[in-house]
Amino acid sequence: MNAVIDNILFDSMKEIKLEGEFKGSIITKCNDDYNSIIFSDNIIISNSEGISIKEGLKVGFEFIGNNISAFSRKKDFNWVDNLNEIEYSVLIPNNIMEVYDEGQFGDAFPYTLNLLHTAGLFLSDYEHGINHLDFFKGEILKNPVSLIMNGIIVADRVVIDHRGDPVFYDCLIVGRDQKDDLSISYEPLTNVKKSLGNVEYIIILGIEELKQ
Amino acid sequence: MLLHENKKARLLTFLKLGINPFKNFVSTGEIKEELGLVISRKNILDEIVKIIENDKNLVLPIIGDVGIGKTHLFWALKNNLYYHNAFYISLETVIKKFFYNIYSEFIEAIGVEPLRNIVNQICSQWGALERKFGFFHVVDINKIRKNAFNKLSDQYSEDEKRTLLDIINGITTHQLDPYKKVEAEGWLLGELMNVKELSSLNIVHDLRNSKTAYSMLKLLIENSKLGSILFIDDFEKMINMNKPSIEFEEEPEEVFDRSWLYGKKVSPDKVIKSKKIFEKLKKLYQINGLRIIITMNSLDSLEDIKRNLRDTALEVNIKEPIILPKFNKSDILELYKKNMKAFLENINFSDYLKEFSDDLFPLNEEILQKIHQDSKGNPRECLKLLINLFNVMVYSDDNLNDILEHYLNSN
Repeated sequence: MNAVIDNILFDSMKEIKLEGEFKGSIITKCNDDYNSIIFSDNIIISNSEGISIKEGLKVGFEFIGNNISAFSRKKDFNWVDNLNEIEYSVLIPNNIMEVYDEGQFGDAFPYTLNLLHTAGLFLSDYEHGINHLDFFKGEILKNPVSLIMNGIIVADRVVIDHRGDPVFYDCLIVGRDQKDDLSISYEPLTNVKKSLGNVEYIIILGIEELKQ
Repeated sequence: MLLHENKKARLLTFLKLGINPFKNFVSTGEIKEELGLVISRKNILDEIVKIIENDKNLVLPIIGDVGIGKTHLFWALKNNLYYHNAFYISLETVIKKFFYNIYSEFIEAIGVEPLRNIVNQICSQWGALERKFGFFHVVDINKIRKNAFNKLSDQYSEDEKRTLLDIINGITTHQLDPYKKVEAEGWLLGELMNVKELSSLNIVHDLRNSKTAYSMLKLLIENSKLGSILFIDDFEKMINMNKPSIEFEEEPEEVFDRSWLYGKKVSPDKVIKSKKIFEKLKKLYQINGLRIIITMNSLDSLEDIKRNLRDTALEVNIKEPIILPKFNKSDILELYKKNMKAFLENINFSDYLKEFSDDLFPLNEEILQKIHQDSKGNPRECLKLLINLFNVMVYSDDNLNDILEHYLNSN
C-alpha cells in the first residue's frame, strides 16, 4: 500500500511546501546530528510564520555528559528562519493508518515487552555505538522507531530473530526512492539485516513518555 | 456393453434399499432448510422483506395453521435477508433463561469474527483507538472504562449500574488486555463461568444473568452494522398459558366448586410467566434496530397480544398480520418436484432429471391431487402422506401401479 504527492507537506530537497493547517498522523524528519523524528497530530505551515507543531513527540539521540542516550520528549516546535532544520514533513493517509491500526491489538503476540522509558536498542556510530540486539534476542518489543538507509520505520512491534536481526511487524515506512521522491507505505512485516550496515538506529519508545 | 438402461426401474430398485426421498415434515430453527418457498408464497416473502427494510423497530405477526410452513418461512427469510442477522427462538423450548437463550442464538447467528468486530467498534467509540501524537495507541484501560461508564450510565438505573460495569469490564478486557483476552471472549460468547474465572475478569455475573444478557444483546444489536431480525416461533404458547386448558374444559360438571379446594383452573405460575414474557417482549422492542417476527396459529390470539403489549409508556409498532395460506394444487406439484430434484441430485442421479422432467415418476398428477385433497392443503400433512406413500413403495412387495391404485381408492 503506497501513497505519494498529496501527503508530502514539506520537502526541503524537492522544495515542496504546502501552506495550511493539517491534522492527522504526521511524521517530520529533522536535519540534526542524529536525524531526530517528530511525531505529531498537527502541523501549521505558512509562508510568513514558518512551520509550527503543537505538542509533538521528538525522538532521537542526545549526549548526556559523555554518554549518548535515546530520548523522546513532548514539546511545541516552531521554525521560522531555520527551515533548513527540517528535511521533510509527511501526513500519513487515513487508509494506511486504518490498516496500521488493524494490525494492533492482535492476540497473536500477548507477551510483548513494553519498556517504561525510551531506550536505544541500536545505534550505528563509530565512537558511541549502541547494540542491545543480542540481549533481546527472541523477544518482542513494543513501539520501535527506526531509521534505516534514510527511511523511517514506525512499527507496532519488533522481534529480534535468532541471528540478532530485527524483524518489524505492522510497519509504516517513509523514505525516498531512487529519484529522491518521498513515498509512504505500509508493510505487515519488514526484515532488516543489521550486518549490511544500513540500520542507523532503533529506538524503543517508553510507555511513560507516550502517556505524557 | 449397456445398450439400454431402464432408469425408472433402477430408481425403484434404489428406493427399495430403504431410502425415502421425503424425510422431514417438521421444520425447526436448528436444522437449515435447503428448499426455498413455493412460487405462490414468493409475494408473501417479498412483502415481509419490504416491511423489514422500511422499519427499524416493529412487531410483525405471521398467522397460519399448525404445519402451514411458518418455521420454513424463517429459513426462506434468513436466506433472502442474508445482509441481516436473522435468528430464531421457539417459545416451546425457550421460557427459562429467556434473554440468555436469545443472546446465545444471536451470537450463533452472527459468528465469532463479526462479534469481535462489533466489540472492537464499541471499544473505539469509548476512546480505545485514540492515537497519541497521531500514531501511538496507549492503552489506558481505566480511562477507557471511565469514558464508557460516563457515556452509558444515563441509560441504566441505579440498580443496573453493576450490570453496566460487568459489560464494560468484559468488553474492554477482551479488546485491551491480551493476557485475559481468551477468558473475556469466553464470557462474551456466553460460556458458563465460575466465581474464580469471573473475578479474574472483575465481573460479577456471566450471561446467565438476565439483566447482563439483555444489556449485552442491546449493545451488540445497536452497534451492529447489519439490521437484526428475531423470529419468535410458537408465540401462541404464551397466550394459551393464560387460558384454561382443554382438559379442564372437558371435565365433567362437578357438584361443588373444585377451585375452593384446588385453587383456580389456570395455574398462577403460568399467568405470571405469560405476563413476564410480554414484559420481555416489550424490552426486546426497545432495542433499536431489532425487528421482531412472531408466529401464531389464529387471528384471535393477535388481539390478546395487542392488549398485552399495550402500554402507556411504550407505543409498540405492531404491523398488520401476514396470513400464510394453504397450499393449492400447483404448490403440491412444485413441492414434490423440488424435493425429487434435490433427492436425485443428492444420490448422484442428476442425469435422471431429464428423463423424469415431463412426468412425476414414481407418482403422477392424479395421486398428487388426491394428496392435496387428503391433506386439505396443509404442507406438513402433505409431506406426511408423501412419506407414507414412499414407505409403502420401499417396503411393500406390490408393484408400483397396485400401490398407487390402492392409495387412489383409499378413503
